[in-house]
Amino acid sequence: MKKTVIKIENLKKYFKVYKKEPGLIGSIKSLWKRKYETVKAVDDISFEITQGEIVGFIGQNGAGKTTTLKMLSGLLYPTAGKIDVLGFRPWDRKPAFQKQFSLVMGQKNQLWWDLPAIESFYLNKAIYEIPDKEFDITLEKLATILDVKDILQIQVRKLSLGQRMKCEIIAALLHSPKVLFLDEPTIGLDVVMQKILRDFIKIYNKEFGATIILTSHYMGDVKELCERVIIIDKGSKIFDGKLDDIINKYARNKILSFTLGNGTSENDLKEYGEIKSFENQRATLIVPRIQATQIASKILNKFKIIDLNIEEASIEAVIREIFGDKNNKQEK
Amino acid sequence: MTKYLTLLKLSWQNGLVYRLSLFTWRLRQFLSSLMSLTVWTVIFTSNNNAFGYSQDNMITYIFLIAFLQSIIIASSLNGLAQRIYSGEISNHLLKPFNIFAFFAIEEIADKVKNTFFLIFETFILFLLFKPLISFPDFKIFSIFLIWCFGGLIMNFFISLLFGSLGFWSPQVWGPKFLFFMILEFTAGKLFPLDILPKILQKIIYITPFPYLSFLQIQLFLGRLNSNDILHHSLIFITWIIFLGLSTKYIWDKGLRSYEATGQ
Ligand SMILES: Nc1ncnc2c1ncn2[C@@H]1O[C@H](COP(=O)(O)OP(=O)(O)OP(=O)(O)O)[C@@H](O)[C@H]1O
Ligand SMILES: [Mg+2]
Repeated sequence: MKKTVIKIENLKKYFKVYKKEPGLIGSIKSLWKRKYETVKAVDDISFEITQGEIVGFIGQNGAGKTTTLKMLSGLLYPTAGKIDVLGFRPWDRKPAFQKQFSLVMGQKNQLWWDLPAIESFYLNKAIYEIPDKEFDITLEKLATILDVKDILQIQVRKLSLGQRMKCEIIAALLHSPKVLFLDEPTIGLDVVMQKILRDFIKIYNKEFGATIILTSHYMGDVKELCERVIIIDKGSKIFDGKLDDIINKYARNKILSFTLGNGTSENDLKEYGEIKSFENQRATLIVPRIQATQIASKILNKFKIIDLNIEEASIEAVIREIFGDKNNKQEK
Repeated sequence: MTKYLTLLKLSWQNGLVYRLSLFTWRLRQFLSSLMSLTVWTVIFTSNNNAFGYSQDNMITYIFLIAFLQSIIIASSLNGLAQRIYSGEISNHLLKPFNIFAFFAIEEIADKVKNTFFLIFETFILFLLFKPLISFPDFKIFSIFLIWCFGGLIMNFFISLLFGSLGFWSPQVWGPKFLFFMILEFTAGKLFPLDILPKILQKIIYITPFPYLSFLQIQLFLGRLNSNDILHHSLIFITWIIFLGLSTKYIWDKGLRSYEATGQ
């Protein structure tokens, strides 16, 4: 029986947003009378995660993923519900808890902008009270895997986005956290870097038995890393289970996109699948998942094709399919 | 302990990155002292007593105000509200490091840096004006140092309080600006407070403002008797405790409504 590391029960976070009526009169009115509206960012979510799991946390923009991670990290005070991470209540922000986890956000930086990354690392070493030897070994290892040894002495502001992201990851992992919250860690990275980072997350999970929650809008990340996914929508959990189950069960379609030689019209393609777009000889078709390769080869045989791509439907599409949204075929 | 020192070192390094703005700011401080000294020197060429201050007293006053300005009033936390509102403090909240300790160290780094420059500036002014500064006796000087420390703590709490507005609103320039305006007039920076009408002085003395420089200088110049010292010490302590408790209360509330925005 593996240990439960993260447990949340009926978690809620409501934000009060001030609503201004449009126009000048609205502005004047709002001077003495303000209207507030409640945004239910997270609305009654429960789940448990055991040690060593990598869980993909997915949902559309504004679903409440980041908000949940912020509550798990103790940044936000929950409106209601219980959270337990490693036996602590995150909100108490106990040092003993903080030494055991890390939150990495794709666009947030903890590195000191005007100083070389190595300085921030030394600061973390001091703050997390990492012993000299352990620090040297960990840093050496991380810097080698992520290939950043020669940029550690350069002012962070002068690094490229990817280089900075790698340094951010190092800063977050120097204290070897047991629990890792990764919020869109691959955002803005090139495909090579995405791959490196994914592999790295995998290794980290294996080596430290770390428990990881990962959010991403790239299906690739989730597919490669997470056995289990939790899907949330509008603040509520709508799916919690094996990734294979969603893909097989809900993602019925794949997307074929290709560029045609001249002389083919939109009509010629109709029989192969649902045409999503056709413009300047560039076509996108939605085809049933199981027949995707078959159809692709038929098209390759029949037409003059310059390039061809088979893609999984996006996370958004899968989510919509789970909802059984009838319109999804038109939209993607 | 090492974590505090490492942070101190880093803050210091960080503060030195933008040398140009640092130098311009110091130059402004320097010119402002230079101007005051010149003006008062001119005034004293025709009088040897102005508002109850002898020339030496007045010159000492100006030297001290420059010093206390940098040590007590200048604060690295002026942009705190913005940093809270923008979610920048999330980084600190995630780490096993007390956030107030973090701010305190930032302040110390800033003040050490200021003092460093100040010593040079004072040296130059000294050469230019060759003032006669007489130091108080050891006992008074000790109280002076304690009051300076008290002023510094008080200003720290005030900065934190202003900063905490950022938990609720991005619009903090208004109140901050007002505060600075009042501070300019009531901390004794522009002129000694005792040239004001008595009734106004009475009111100002029950606010925290004169404890941010003016009274320290009065003490240094030997213009307070032991009754005054006791009286002011009591008000001083009361203010510090009150502001400290308010800071704690407001920050507890603020952190609960903190929204960690920024992504
Ligand atoms: N501080 C805030 N004040 C008001 N509303 C907020 C605040 N923070 C988040 N929200 C709202 O809460 C909802 C959930 O936001 P959250 O950032 O958790 O979404 P997300 O799932 O991370 O989305 P994304 O994929 O775009 O990152 C959104 O509707 C958002 O507008
Ligand atoms: Mg998000």
